[in-house]
Amino acid sequence: MPADSDAFVVEGTFALPYNYFAGRVGSTWLVALRDERKIYGVRHPKTGKVYVPPRQVDERDFTDLTGDWVEVGPEGRVTGFTIVRYREPYHPLPAPFGLALIQLDGADTSLTHVIRGEHLDRLAVGVRVRAVFARERKASILDISHFEPA
Amino acid sequence: MPPKKLSDELVHREHMARFPQRWSTGPVMGKFLQALRDEKRILANVCPRCGRSQVPPREVCAVCRVAATQFEEVGPAGTLRSFDVVYYASPDPVTGQSREVPYATGYVELDGSKGGATFWHELNETDLTRLRRGLRVRAVFEEDGKRSGAITDIKHFEIIEGDA
Repeated sequence: MPADSDAFVVEGTFALPYNYFAGRVGSTWLVALRDERKIYGVRHPKTGKVYVPPRQVDERDFTDLTGDWVEVGPEGRVTGFTIVRYREPYHPLPAPFGLALIQLDGADTSLTHVIRGEHLDRLAVGVRVRAVFARERKASILDISHFEPA
Repeated sequence: MPPKKLSDELVHREHMARFPQRWSTGPVMGKFLQALRDEKRILANVCPRCGRSQVPPREVCAVCRVAATQFEEVGPAGTLRSFDVVYYASPDPVTGQSREVPYATGYVELDGSKGGATFWHELNETDLTRLRRGLRVRAVFEEDGKRSGAITDIKHFEIIEGDA
């Protein structure tokens, strides 16, 4: 007859390898973050809407969007946010930090990025923010280190 | 200047996420794993109604759904009832690495178990052409001091040479 005292705790790890390919459009965007410290979007040839981050085709009419790149930001406006309050090894920042949707000046869509803990008291929908580029850049979304109040 | 054409440089990231886990064995699996670790014994539990063995043991008989509290030692030798040859290995949850292929795993009917219950584990045989149903195999335990109360305290099953 097993007893409760037979139970014990197993310490383990859950390791998940992954391989991310940005694609040609994503690569173009990330290389520009790294080399130029500039944020680009793509403009729809018919509607004029600017998508940031860029994408290959329009999600509704499948028009190729990659012929017209435009610079946006580096400032923009918060259109929505949440606050992450727990720590986890793969978060880009120590908690608490903000995850915000940011509509960059010149863009019609919002980009998700992080807001540091010391700026959370100023985080609200409509607040103006500015991209801060990382000193060391590796063609990653974190080449923008974070956004801070503008 | 905005790009005139798409980048020739393609961005690609390899990343290994590692999440620490804690798992409670519960009393039944705890008893089974402690017997592996401390005594190098494989325990099955037996249904009081239908008499079949379950290995690894579980709280209730999967057929009769009554508590199965009687434990019996089975193995360490047994008969290979079926096997699989793996050509595409899933990542090891501990390391995230995929092991070398091909390798084989098998379902072993351990001596003393009743009702046809089989126990799944890895087979160390590298000559995969030798594998067939009915082969006699035995559990090979990890050395003393290295067993941790995990299913890997049995390293693998090996063929019992000369035992048809």
